[in-house]
Amino acid sequence: MKFLVFSDVGKNVSEIATKLRDLGEVHSFTLKSQRDAVMKSGSKKLVLLDGTSFSGNVSEALLKSDLSGYDYVFIASTPLGRDIAGIISAKTGNMIASEAFDFTIDNGKIRTKRFFFGGKTIMEEETGAKIVTVSPGSFEPSESPDSPAEETITLPGSPEKLLEEKDREAGGTNIESAGIIVSVGRGIGSKEAIEKITPLVTATRGELAGSRPVCLDYRWLSEERQVGLSGKKVKPRVYIALGISGQIQHIAGMRGSKIVVAVNKDKDAPIFQECDYGIVGDLFQIVPKLVEKLKK
Amino acid sequence: MALNIIVLIKQIIDIDQMRTDPGTGIPVTQGIPLKVETLSKNAIEAAVKLKEKYGGKVTGIIFGTEKSNAAMKEAYAMGVDEGFIITGYPGNNPSLTAHVISEKIKSIQGFNVVILGNQSADSYTGVLPGLMAGKLSLPLLGNAVSIEEDSGSIKIRRALEDRDQIVSAPMPCIVSVTQEINQPRLPPVLQIMAAGRKPINTEQASLIDLPAGKVLSNLAPKSERKRLIFEDVEKGSEEVAKIIRGEIK
Repeated sequence: MKFLVFSDVGKNVSEIATKLRDLGEVHSFTLKSQRDAVMKSGSKKLVLLDGTSFSGNVSEALLKSDLSGYDYVFIASTPLGRDIAGIISAKTGNMIASEAFDFTIDNGKIRTKRFFFGGKTIMEEETGAKIVTVSPGSFEPSESPDSPAEETITLPGSPEKLLEEKDREAGGTNIESAGIIVSVGRGIGSKEAIEKITPLVTATRGELAGSRPVCLDYRWLSEERQVGLSGKKVKPRVYIALGISGQIQHIAGMRGSKIVVAVNKDKDAPIFQECDYGIVGDLFQIVPKLVEKLKK
Repeated sequence: MALNIIVLIKQIIDIDQMRTDPGTGIPVTQGIPLKVETLSKNAIEAAVKLKEKYGGKVTGIIFGTEKSNAAMKEAYAMGVDEGFIITGYPGNNPSLTAHVISEKIKSIQGFNVVILGNQSADSYTGVLPGLMAGKLSLPLLGNAVSIEEDSGSIKIRRALEDRDQIVSAPMPCIVSVTQEINQPRLPPVLQIMAAGRKPINTEQASLIDLPAGKVLSNLAPKSERKRLIFEDVEKGSEEVAKIIRGEIK
């Protein structure tokens, strides 16, 4: 089989290519700035898109790359990726299987798994889709020794114009590959309280993350750190949920964790149904205790 | 300039009220009330705000069922001027939805901008904005956290995966919005009453035969967590620290 993989984030290309390279030949497409993250993805061919990228002109470039020569087009479900998948689907008439976090291909049919009903259920579907959007972080990337043949394409002009652009948090945090995550919810009460949590992050050599309200509504943390259905899907060895009530949309983002620890003062909080170890109590008392015991 | 705005509205079941059967994991959707989907409310609010700022008109489109009147009345109360309900919604099939709605949009003269949510709260498919842009061959400004008109163009701010952008496109164009763009208004009682008397245009969708996926299963995932809950903080901290220590690398 032959696969085309696209993402505007190089890491996502490598995740999908790692999963696909055992099934067939992978041709990866990404933005030129993402080259280094894709070089060891085991792709046979790497096509770098040069120029200002919009959903329209990236779609145009992909459509020109003779899509009929590929069995499947896999696109990472980033904001830009979803838009591109839609445009390509409309232009080619091929259906999309969307938001897959797992899939198998058998006899020209693809079976995909995705969350449905806001994360309350997992839907498994069998479709004749040729385009698949894949939830970022679904597969573990591994490096391949084979280097791809490289090609650069200049993106066509577009009616959209880029007026201003700013990179967020250079260097970036990567909670998707963290081994231990300390995640905070509304229960921490204020932005200042994060200072009281950082000793635990340090003691566990973990990464700090948060729920949707903390990252998007109150902006106590940046959105790169948001765990949930609409944020990052994480699967650390240990996920420590502090003051997180456990809304289903949050659970959907951390279901892959090996061990889940929850601290909450409400013993009826739904998070206690989704944890391995729970402590009922004030997180500001419990966090220092944990830090002290971990230092011993 | 005054804007002729189309807003796409989705009606879904109230997922917060939906339970799954604890034994079988089967979602129990019967008897769950319908509501205007969250992101659609953000889209309506964004459309009405633009109208309030620049003048013009907001036309709402729902691809739904005979039961979608309540959703359109809510949209009217929020400030939508005219509404079309296209009945015959067969369930989650974005390609079909895009076909039906784009055909309707083609019949609306002189629109400047189509606004919709970037992902709906039930399916999270997220591909409708792209499908609409492809079908209508219009530029797409996706994932807006703010929208304004700027001498014949639409200008938005958006957050992509690793960067923030301000981008513009000539009208007509399509704009998808995120939940962060605004706080949808709660209309006053007088407006709700007036909305109830306003006529709604209803028409039957002309469906085309598109292969839908076969759903093999749709169940609540089984949680296999240990659920060891400590109410003794001291003992709990001791145990939990032991577990965490074994996993630190």
